[in-house]
Amino acid sequence: METRTRRILLMRPLLQAAVIGVLVVALSGCQALRWPWFGRDRQAVEPLETEEQAEQAELDELDRAPPRVIDPQVERRTIKVPKIDDENFELGITYGFLSIEDFGTNPVYGLTGTYHVTEDFFLRADYGRSEAGRTSFETLGGNVQLLTESERQFTSYSLSLGYNFLPGEVFVGRNIAMTSSFYVLGGVGWTEFAGDDRLTYNFGAGFKVLPSDWLALHIGVQDRVFDTDLLGRTKVSNNIEMVLGVTAFF
Amino acid sequence: MERSITTIRFRLRKTSLALLVACVALSPILAPTAYGAPSDEQRERKRAKYLQLFVTQPYLELRTGPGRGYPVTQVVARDESVDVIKRKTDWFLVRTERDTEGWARAVDMARLRQADGSRFAVDFGDLTGFARHRWELGIMSGDYGGATLIGGHFAYSLNDSLKIDVAASKFLGNATNGEKYEIGLNHVFLPNRRWSPFFELGTGVINISPRATLVAPIDRTDQTGYVGAGIRFYVARRFFLRGEYRWNTVFTSRDDNEEIKEWKLGLAAFF
Repeated sequence: METRTRRILLMRPLLQAAVIGVLVVALSGCQALRWPWFGRDRQAVEPLETEEQAEQAELDELDRAPPRVIDPQVERRTIKVPKIDDENFELGITYGFLSIEDFGTNPVYGLTGTYHVTEDFFLRADYGRSEAGRTSFETLGGNVQLLTESERQFTSYSLSLGYNFLPGEVFVGRNIAMTSSFYVLGGVGWTEFAGDDRLTYNFGAGFKVLPSDWLALHIGVQDRVFDTDLLGRTKVSNNIEMVLGVTAFF
Repeated sequence: MERSITTIRFRLRKTSLALLVACVALSPILAPTAYGAPSDEQRERKRAKYLQLFVTQPYLELRTGPGRGYPVTQVVARDESVDVIKRKTDWFLVRTERDTEGWARAVDMARLRQADGSRFAVDFGDLTGFARHRWELGIMSGDYGGATLIGGHFAYSLNDSLKIDVAASKFLGNATNGEKYEIGLNHVFLPNRRWSPFFELGTGVINISPRATLVAPIDRTDQTGYVGAGIRFYVARRFFLRGEYRWNTVFTSRDDNEEIKEWKLGLAAFF
């Protein structure tokens, strides 16, 4: 004998659909009701007394961190940005010849330091040392000595501003190209000579070639001008030097 | 005539000896082929030394030298990367992915991005740099109590307006010559303006030597103190002018201290 359930299941599909539809609509009201067994563990919400409290509660709600779904196990990599090497300072040595007015031409050696401010301008400090020879008066006059040995030391210091112009490249053979540049410079300094310090103006020009990024070869000419009264009356003394230099950038 | 076995052996030995010598001599040349190209790990380590930047503009121009006069010989395309090797004034030497090197302008470099997408911050020597920098270096000339003064100075910035100023100068007068070395504090007002006044306070030592033509020259070394005021004017690029007036007091061993007025004007650069 067919049970009741079986009878329902065997009903015609149209009737079946209608029964389900009625049930869905009817039962949907259940969720609107407060069933006594729901929300037992929920704490009773106390009504907030003032508006401020309500606002505060709202803000607290916002501040609360969102629930953490996954705990990330990835460690954040600290990226160390490598420091970029600045190469604006240039230090080097020079060697050449200095023609000291009235005292002949003698070897001069020195130190040079440059700070390249821009690609065009640079500040430069020079130190040079030489020894004066004998004047023609001393040579002809036999035993006459104008200066003592220590007074013949010629030491010059100068601070200059320089300007690079005509930058270019020089080519050695087919495969080597080196950057190069002409420069002019002028400045002020002092000269220790003949037992006295003299205010000295210097100006000159030079040419430099860079065989590598950090190395430079220089050839330069400078005139060091100061007033002197060594030979009687005051006159302007021009002392021209021509030097070769090797410098390194760092 | 048939060769004896000893001769052949000797010949063989000579040949192998020659080969050995040749191998040793050529080993530096053959080494790369023998050991192969540098491994990825080595290349990675080499890279890590330098900052890697990505090109975001259509292309980055590279020149043969650090100057606008040098020719552009290659370009780096968008999305390719470069390694920054060094900087010279406003030019950066970079190495491309193809292992070629060239110099790029600082203005172009400022448009590159780092691997995390952030912009590459370039320190241009502009008005912002004038307000905020670490070092200053300059040369000055002026008058020191009637004598001509020549000197150099450098300064270290503690913050935008407070600097430690160190100077060495030489003065050449009619009666005396000498040197002075000073250290002081320099307070710059309105450091972010083109014209910025400053106030200074410091101490030092002075060495006065009367000129040789005078009788009985005696060298003296005394301590000094100074207070001064001046103005700095930003010219362009990394240059600024500095002019100042100082009141110096030389603490002599005599009854009276010596007051020396000093003014000077100079050209300085910041970096």
